[in-house]
Amino acid sequence: MKGPLALLAAIALASALAAGGSPAARAEGAHRRPADRARAALPILGTRLSEYPAGDGKAIADAACLQCHSADIPRQQRLNEKQWTASVEKMIRWGAAVKETDKAALVAYLSREFGPSNTGFVPTDAAPLAAPVSSH
Amino acid sequence: MVSAKIPWMDRRRFLWLGATAAAASPAMLSAVIDSAAARRRLLQVNGYPPDAETPLELLDSYITPNDLFFVRNHWIPTTVDAKTWTLTVDGEVETPLRLSLADLRAMPRVSRTCVLQCAGNGRGLFSPPVAGVQWKYGAVGNARWTGVRVKDLLARAGVKPSALHVHTFGADLPPGKVPPFHRSIEIEKLIEDGIVADEMNGEPLAPLHGAPARLVVPGWAGDHWMKWLVRLSAGVAPQSGFYMDTAYRYPKAPGPPGEPVKPEDMAPVTELFVKSNITTRPARAVIGRVSEIGGFAFSGAPDVARVEVSEDGGVRWSDARLDSRHEPFAWRRWTYPWKPARAGEATILCRATDSRGRVQPREAVWNPSGYLHNAWHAVTIPVAG
Repeated sequence: MKGPLALLAAIALASALAAGGSPAARAEGAHRRPADRARAALPILGTRLSEYPAGDGKAIADAACLQCHSADIPRQQRLNEKQWTASVEKMIRWGAAVKETDKAALVAYLSREFGPSNTGFVPTDAAPLAAPVSSH
Repeated sequence: MVSAKIPWMDRRRFLWLGATAAAASPAMLSAVIDSAAARRRLLQVNGYPPDAETPLELLDSYITPNDLFFVRNHWIPTTVDAKTWTLTVDGEVETPLRLSLADLRAMPRVSRTCVLQCAGNGRGLFSPPVAGVQWKYGAVGNARWTGVRVKDLLARAGVKPSALHVHTFGADLPPGKVPPFHRSIEIEKLIEDGIVADEMNGEPLAPLHGAPARLVVPGWAGDHWMKWLVRLSAGVAPQSGFYMDTAYRYPKAPGPPGEPVKPEDMAPVTELFVKSNITTRPARAVIGRVSEIGGFAFSGAPDVARVEVSEDGGVRWSDARLDSRHEPFAWRRWTYPWKPARAGEATILCRATDSRGRVQPREAVWNPSGYLHNAWHAVTIPVAG
């Protein structure tokens, strides 16, 4: 997904965050205090959201991972298949929506794209943080 | 790198971003990022949760400015209403407390300058690679923290002799089935050094740094510095849970790199390791002309005793000059007047020794989660004849 689609995804995601956390967080939030759900100001630092590279398994990764964290985190990893298997299993334990039949394809995608030789990740320049409004 | 820029921001959205960005139009923001003045910036390693490190060359002052201080969040950060926020002190105490921010600020206040470093700073430098945020050098900073001593809070609550640990709780909540971020700290450490801080470098604590108050644990890794702090509970035993029993653990003895280590063969990460980095260096140098090399050094020990520089791969070392400013667990600035003797590529190394005699090692000890990287730092500088 590149160009307009990526932009739409970024907008949808940013809107979801602005509306009160990730979709998973909102679904989970039913039993939480209103103050925790009303996360009016959810700061992100930069104005760019990265995405997964095209390839078999991208749709599974998009659906499973981006609920809780951006694609930056997987994209900067340099893990072998054993490590990716452990990561995916941990994330499934923690609530990532991955069908049992999709697990192998997800591990294969992540291992192929972000294996030990992956050096493609570059941090995004972000503006310095603004000073908080004084509460004194 | 594939990335999507968001050029559509309306005013409301921009104000939302503006909680952490500049109070200007999106066009101006882009201009700032893209201009030469963009030297002042953070390196965002994760869009959400927001994680960003400071470029090493900007860590060149004794106090790290708030706007350049690294940011680390496990999850989408919470925002806490300072008006309704309370801090509970309970557990093994005679009189549990529930304090408002005004109550907290009415107590005797202290300020301490000390280093905050993410336990995983340098994770991206380990080989073989390990999972997690691939921090390089900049998940560290030195700030002046102001607030109330944990010792005074515990005394006011009448802490019992049975209390050996303090369980700490923040207001942020994990998504899905992710376990909550609970930590505990030995009570002696908190009585000795701990602060509940609501100010950072003379400003109210920023939301991304845990407003209205966070824990400050001088000399210990950042995972102990609980953000959005809401409760301190004195306990007989350590806290249990994923972030005590599985994460933030370090091998008791070094093992082969890349090999798994059993949890029982690991202990919680606590004190920082002795470490120095080069933040100031010339882009290029000339034989016979003096250039300044400089940086910072810190440790989990209260002070740094020595910083040395090597030009020959660590065979011979020369003492750097330590800056006179030193406070317990703050970093120590250092400089070294370097006069290159040969043309070509020069590699400069630095290493620190702390006040307990521990010396920064050539290689960091590989560990399964990539904590506390502290290998000698090397920079390469071209030298003209």
